[in-house]
Amino acid sequence: MTALAGRTALVTGAAGGIGREVALLLGRLGANVVVNDPGVNLDGTGGSAGPAEEVAQAIVDAGGAAVPDAGSVATPEGGEAMVRRAVEEFGRIDAVIHAAGILRDRMIFNMTEEEWHEVAAVHLAGYFHVVRPASQLMRQQRFGRLVGFSSSSGLVGNSGQANYGAAKAGIAGMARCLALDLGRYAVTSNAIAPTAETRMTQSVPQSARSARSASGIAPLSAEPTRAEPAHVAPMVAYLLTDQAWDINGCVFYVGAGRVSIAHEAQPLRSINKPERWSVAELAELVPTELMRGLANPAPPAS
Amino acid sequence: MGALEGKVALVTGAGRGIGAAVATLLGAEGASVVVNDPGVNTDGTGHDDGPAAQTAGAIVAAGGEAQPNVDSVAEAAGGEAMVEQAVTAYGRLDILVNCAGILRDRMIFNMTQEEWDAVIAVHLTGHFNTIRPASLQMRAQRAGRIINFTSVSGLLGNPGQVNYGAAKAAIAGLTRVAARDVGRYGVTVNALSPVAATRMTQGVPGGGSGRSSAPRSAFGGMREAEDVAPMVGYLASDEAWDINGQIFHVQGGRVSLAHQPLPEHTIVTPTPPWTLAELDDGVHYVLMRRRRNPAAPPEDVEVPGRDVTPRALA
Repeated sequence: MTALAGRTALVTGAAGGIGREVALLLGRLGANVVVNDPGVNLDGTGGSAGPAEEVAQAIVDAGGAAVPDAGSVATPEGGEAMVRRAVEEFGRIDAVIHAAGILRDRMIFNMTEEEWHEVAAVHLAGYFHVVRPASQLMRQQRFGRLVGFSSSSGLVGNSGQANYGAAKAGIAGMARCLALDLGRYAVTSNAIAPTAETRMTQSVPQSARSARSASGIAPLSAEPTRAEPAHVAPMVAYLLTDQAWDINGCVFYVGAGRVSIAHEAQPLRSINKPERWSVAELAELVPTELMRGLANPAPPAS
Repeated sequence: MGALEGKVALVTGAGRGIGAAVATLLGAEGASVVVNDPGVNTDGTGHDDGPAAQTAGAIVAAGGEAQPNVDSVAEAAGGEAMVEQAVTAYGRLDILVNCAGILRDRMIFNMTQEEWDAVIAVHLTGHFNTIRPASLQMRAQRAGRIINFTSVSGLLGNPGQVNYGAAKAAIAGLTRVAARDVGRYGVTVNALSPVAATRMTQGVPGGGSGRSSAPRSAFGGMREAEDVAPMVGYLASDEAWDINGQIFHVQGGRVSLAHQPLPEHTIVTPTPPWTLAELDDGVHYVLMRRRRNPAAPPEDVEVPGRDVTPRALA
């Protein structure tokens, strides 16, 4: 397995969960891996170099090449340092996979400023902090792969996660803008929303599932498979291969044996008028023409 | 009788552009309006009390009720202060419209940390800074309307705007989550993605209309800031009580419901994890069938994989 031989990848948040599985797989596929993880708890507290070292050692033990990095993506200096580490250790950087993340769940009306900022700093600003220095090198070498992690929490909406959902939807937006900034330099930028079968099932309307079944894309009675972090890693690795050179600016849902491409936010239905609408006209047409069949995801309590 | 008689509204960034058009329409429909605008330049520098006072003055001159506010949404204290001003002056807050915004366009490889931080602070943090105190008030009232502003720059992508696109896409996500947090209390949260010629979009290639696949008006040149306001007025009204968590494109005389980013095409393996060869087949032939690279490398750039046929992975 040498699909990524000679490539160097930086994986943030690589000590646990999906990041770890991505780092291990990239190592097995021949890539040099910078295993970044500050070893913090899920809420951002604590810190240890041990977890990143353990994953890097596992890659080396399996015959691969890897170095640990215990820096934080939450600061520009941390992001620059891990990109520099890739170049110093392996001579270049071909891919950035941003899997680092923390959670601070709270309903919007109770969320503290600190809870908002800490989540935004790691997820959203964290991606900027590594992508900016990496993009400069990728542009020069006319090759690169950027993979951000988004989430159905932001793409679909999940109560109690305004900070996380905003950051994750923002990463999808970044993926699209980066694709346009860097595509001409043979750099691709995509985002993956990793999913569990249960969440996916809830977010897909029955009509869409039936349509998919009818067109042979997905069997209606597909056996639900347990969603494991290792199931997400192959799609990340695929986006890093030469064969994926032309996949750019996309958002994919990945998990439990499924890979889906997300709808772009194009107009679904429109109403048109050759002059300015009045509020009264919109009150008549929006419910019947635009909103038909769409339910309020959180209707008022009766 | 206006559609918003007796309502109290706060509109951020209401000194100019879409914000001013929205505040004016809400005032004309009978709402009492707190007109927020710190009067900064489009890059966020400077300060001027004039724009907020001017919009508020125009609403009052037209027979409506309005007060200016010059706090910055980039600060938590600023968001709290403007919500408090509405409640102190008018007793409640029914409508929050988040229009405030700045631009610092730059390609990713040249963007400074400061350019990133400033745009995120006003757009994204700015939305949080007003929504949090407003949602507390609206939850207590068991009624409220929050209308945010997203953009095709984030929803579809635009070159040279990774800071703005990130913030605007994040606002769409924030809208979806907040809608689910407050819906049960009779509060709705929706977002508009406007295309209009304003001070902020001057100097942006395409006037902020996004890439070629962005929604375009069927009616040519008509896309003024005032065209966006009626949809805000409608979403703010009692009649729109059950519209929640949605994104609408508004451009000239066209109003569209945006596709939710749900799965469009799916490939399945009964035996995960995937092999790379399986993925190459499925992704290439099923998922990417109708997609094209929005910024493909020119022919003279050597791209590993471009000439690989047949498709096969080791």
